[in-house]
Amino acid sequence: MASSVDERPSPSLARTDGSVGGPVVVASSLSKRFGDLLAVDELTFALRGGTVTGFLGPNGAGKTTTLRLLLGLARPTAGEALVFGRRYRELDDPARRVGAVLESNDFHPGRSGRDHLRMLAVAAGISRARVEEMLELVELERVAGRQVKTYSLGMRQRLGLAAALLGDPELLILDEPANGLDPAGVQWLRRFLRAFAERGRTVLVSSHILAEVAQTVDEIVIIDRGRLRASGTLAQLTERGRTLEEVYLELTGGAGL
Amino acid sequence: MSGQLSAELLKHRTTFTNPELFLAMLGLVLLAVLLHGLALPVDRLASASDQVQVFRFGLLLGVLFAGLVGAMSITGEIRHGTIRPTFLFAPRRGRVMASKIVAGGLVGAVFGLVAVGVAVGVGSAALAARGTPITLDGGDYTLLPIGGITAAALWGPLGLGIGALLRNQVATLTAIFLWLFVIENLLIDFVPAAGKFAPGAAAAAITGLDPDRLLAPAVGALLLAGYAAAAATAGTLATLRRDVP
Repeated sequence: MASSVDERPSPSLARTDGSVGGPVVVASSLSKRFGDLLAVDELTFALRGGTVTGFLGPNGAGKTTTLRLLLGLARPTAGEALVFGRRYRELDDPARRVGAVLESNDFHPGRSGRDHLRMLAVAAGISRARVEEMLELVELERVAGRQVKTYSLGMRQRLGLAAALLGDPELLILDEPANGLDPAGVQWLRRFLRAFAERGRTVLVSSHILAEVAQTVDEIVIIDRGRLRASGTLAQLTERGRTLEEVYLELTGGAGL
Repeated sequence: MSGQLSAELLKHRTTFTNPELFLAMLGLVLLAVLLHGLALPVDRLASASDQVQVFRFGLLLGVLFAGLVGAMSITGEIRHGTIRPTFLFAPRRGRVMASKIVAGGLVGAVFGLVAVGVAVGVGSAALAARGTPITLDGGDYTLLPIGGITAAALWGPLGLGIGALLRNQVATLTAIFLWLFVIENLLIDFVPAAGKFAPGAAAAAITGLDPDRLLAPAVGALLLAGYAAAAATAGTLATLRRDVP
């Protein structure tokens, strides 16, 4: 099992542009307890800039909780989660550094897609022109005036992505972004994420679709029952001719149904 | 801060929830005032305190809907999940809550002004149509809209604080409704000495219409401001401390 980066970020990494050097995201001994359940258990890993990292694990493994800890939505019981060397909450201009989509339906059903983006843009001082650009990027400009309740799941996924990209962030964190996308949408997303990383930016994407992950990511982090099972490059994990699926099922003990 | 406040006001404007609540409030004010003003026998509309009851519905409904709108500015975000992007874009949650408090006060004030204005206008017209001399003087007509605006502007943040504490939308809206329309009525009827210090009675006191049973207007305003500050502070502290749903 490849070990993860254990060096702590130095203050000089606080403003890294994500293209070189130190880790963009660092989880150190990160734990989160809900009553009797230890959802995240001493999790330590780091993400390098300019890479796409797949974040894998069975249902209930603690992936979403980990992402929520990284994004300051939940407070760790122990340990620390840092993005660009700081806690998310302490970032000066978070929308311009980190974009994230956690749920596919975080919209008011009676608000239009355009107004959803506008209310976020206004809060972060982002221009209206950028809102229209993002609507075009995700090909929602034709339906942007319609209430979100009329959108398909795929359209909602794309609207969430547009919101995450409003601030032109250096780090993108996506939880199951391919859910509800049609094959063309999945291919679009894959190309988009690759291009995003090739510009020196960083992606952390959780997914269940191992075949899709294998085509998209450079690095893998696998967790199970809140604990780190493996982290390293895709090539390292799949050496000796094993498939990602074989490695994943062996590590997560889920070979059968 | 000003960007966040603009965002909060934009949220109030960009769904049909608030216009629907606004229309519901208008309809209820009209219904209550007209039923009272037109259906009661004339001899039960003659005294000042009888006429106060006609106008009181404007204040009560304005305050109720201001509280509901304030509460929904947080419970609606929790219910629909927009609280997550909201706090991703503005992770300093205290600033978001401060903006919600101000926005809730502004939107509440509009609701209060309209509810009281319509109640006074339509109520006066109904009384005039019945041939009942109106006992209110110019001072009453000044204090009524001022009281309506002040009371509803404070009930917006009060509702927000309750919503931030309870978080569940249905539970919050039910609690506010039951408090104003059931529990406070029981208090006023059975324990009037304590009832007049309740937040709905304090709101009504600001209009100065019922000085025998209620506090003086300035005292009512101060007391209600205290309730609003306490609820908004408690709701903000809870939002800072707890994980985002």
